[in-house]
Amino acid sequence: MDKSTLLLAAIILAVFGASVAAGHPHWGTFTGIAIILLAAGLATGTLPLHSQDFVEERTSPTQRISNGLITLSSAAIVAIYAAGYHRTSPAAHRFDSQIPQQRTSATIAIATPPPAANPGSSAAPPVSSSAAPAIKKNTKRPSTPSRKAAPSSASDSAGSSASSTSTPSPASSTNPPIEAAAPPAGAAKSAYKDGVYLGWGSCRHGDIEASVTIQDGKIALVAISQCLTRYSCGWIAPKIPGAGLPDLPSQVVERQGPKVDYISGATESSYAFADAVVAALSKATE
Amino acid sequence: MHSLMQSSQHYPRPQSNEVIRTVALMGTFVTVHVVGRVAGHKGETDRTERERAVDRALDWFYKIEECCTRFEVGSEVMRLATQVGVPVPVSTILFEAVQFALAVAEESEGAFDPTVGYAMESLGFNREYRTGQTIRTHLDSNFPVSYRDVRLDAERQTITLLRPLILDLGAVAKGLAVDLAARELQSFKSFAINAGGDLYLGGCNPTGEPWSIGIRHPRNDGELIDSIRVSNRAVCTSGDYEKRAAANEQGHHILDPRTGSSANAVASVTVIASTAMLADALATAAFVLGPSEGIQLFQRLGVDGLIISPTLELYATRGFREYH
Repeated sequence: MDKSTLLLAAIILAVFGASVAAGHPHWGTFTGIAIILLAAGLATGTLPLHSQDFVEERTSPTQRISNGLITLSSAAIVAIYAAGYHRTSPAAHRFDSQIPQQRTSATIAIATPPPAANPGSSAAPPVSSSAAPAIKKNTKRPSTPSRKAAPSSASDSAGSSASSTSTPSPASSTNPPIEAAAPPAGAAKSAYKDGVYLGWGSCRHGDIEASVTIQDGKIALVAISQCLTRYSCGWIAPKIPGAGLPDLPSQVVERQGPKVDYISGATESSYAFADAVVAALSKATE
Repeated sequence: MHSLMQSSQHYPRPQSNEVIRTVALMGTFVTVHVVGRVAGHKGETDRTERERAVDRALDWFYKIEECCTRFEVGSEVMRLATQVGVPVPVSTILFEAVQFALAVAEESEGAFDPTVGYAMESLGFNREYRTGQTIRTHLDSNFPVSYRDVRLDAERQTITLLRPLILDLGAVAKGLAVDLAARELQSFKSFAINAGGDLYLGGCNPTGEPWSIGIRHPRNDGELIDSIRVSNRAVCTSGDYEKRAAANEQGHHILDPRTGSSANAVASVTVIASTAMLADALATAAFVLGPSEGIQLFQRLGVDGLIISPTLELYATRGFREYH
């Protein structure tokens, strides 16, 4: 039926219902109200469609829904992107290699030399020194030759050699990453409130929620409470600790702060985890 | 080299945390807009990082145009047209584009058909937009051709043309380039790509809300007939007001492959889908099918859309309203 016809019928019914209700108080009230309600139903049922001016198509429920084309188009993009990646990868690498350097100053991983090797070094507060630790981190990852080979880091290391000399650390360059863990320097400034805090971090692969437990003002326990990344969080937090695999939650406890190593092959997830810890710790200092 | 054309007419002056670049490509203007920092990174994202990401995104347009344009004799798709009856090894880009185009042809029962290239050329859609040079191909036969005359071998990545024909990948290639550019910009929280009506909107706009997309009124220039809000979606709008045929004043750029003349049942089509390639191909198919059948195709394939008839009646899928 035509929508305007329906609307007209609804108005007539409403007027009729009102007159019935007014004229016959003893029985007509209910009938009248019923008719008014019917009219209102008709009107509201037709009005939205009318005002939007859409002609809505009804498909029969038996028609099949095919998602084949959606899948195929996504697969094509993946195939081409993968095939063409060698072309874009040099640029992408330059792009990626910038990020660790920038981030190092903020949250990530500075494997400063052990305090025993460098007792008098007051120039090793991990957060305040910006460029030098970033380079150290790069040079200390022989397992990631691609980043090492990035021209930007090479030129930067030359430029920052002056600042590196203030903390001569031949030992650190030979240390494996995990052993070169930060000194408990950060512990001095920890003024966290006791409790369990949650924080989120995100990256292009998904989101990570970290839970940080503070006891006696110190970071006592760190865990990944939710791992919503495309890849398993086992890359950054192994199920069985102590097997020599990178274990970022333990690093946070060891170092009493969010400054974790980044992991080749799980760089983005490492960042996301570090961000999650920062978010959780910020709640603990409020 | 390709000339860069800066345009600020559609966008406000870029803020310090965004990069907007417009380039003439694929017969239209391609605008890439990247806002803010890389997702998940707290530190400030360098401006040059955004610039480089935009470079890489635009690179895909050059790359795909190189393979898929029928306006250059030397392009891969035109070299393919000279070899009939033999399997020709092709690039991944061309293979995937053709494979997808044939799948849409199959699904729409020929309403979309990539083999209309020769017919398009004959109608005067044969001018290279940058140089202005026209191309005229001589094919040995005037047999009617269809998508069934193209065979693929996925294992060897070859294409075999069973008859002399020219593939028109216009609808697919532009969408594909948008999708690959979007893939390239994926690490940014917020970006938008617009290639002459093929859009991909990643994340939210600079004010933090879903991107708002106006749908042009097909008859009143400069007026919008509707607007939608989308995030992480491709939107393609195609109208009969675009690209009139050189040889025929009434004709426009979408042919009915079954009749060989312009499709006239629709004034404009808008499709919202997960990829721009799918959105553009289905918009083209709906142009040929007409409003009712077009909407049915969208519903069946799980995409949303709005079709406007020449008498300005609006037809929409059930899910389309959710984008308002």
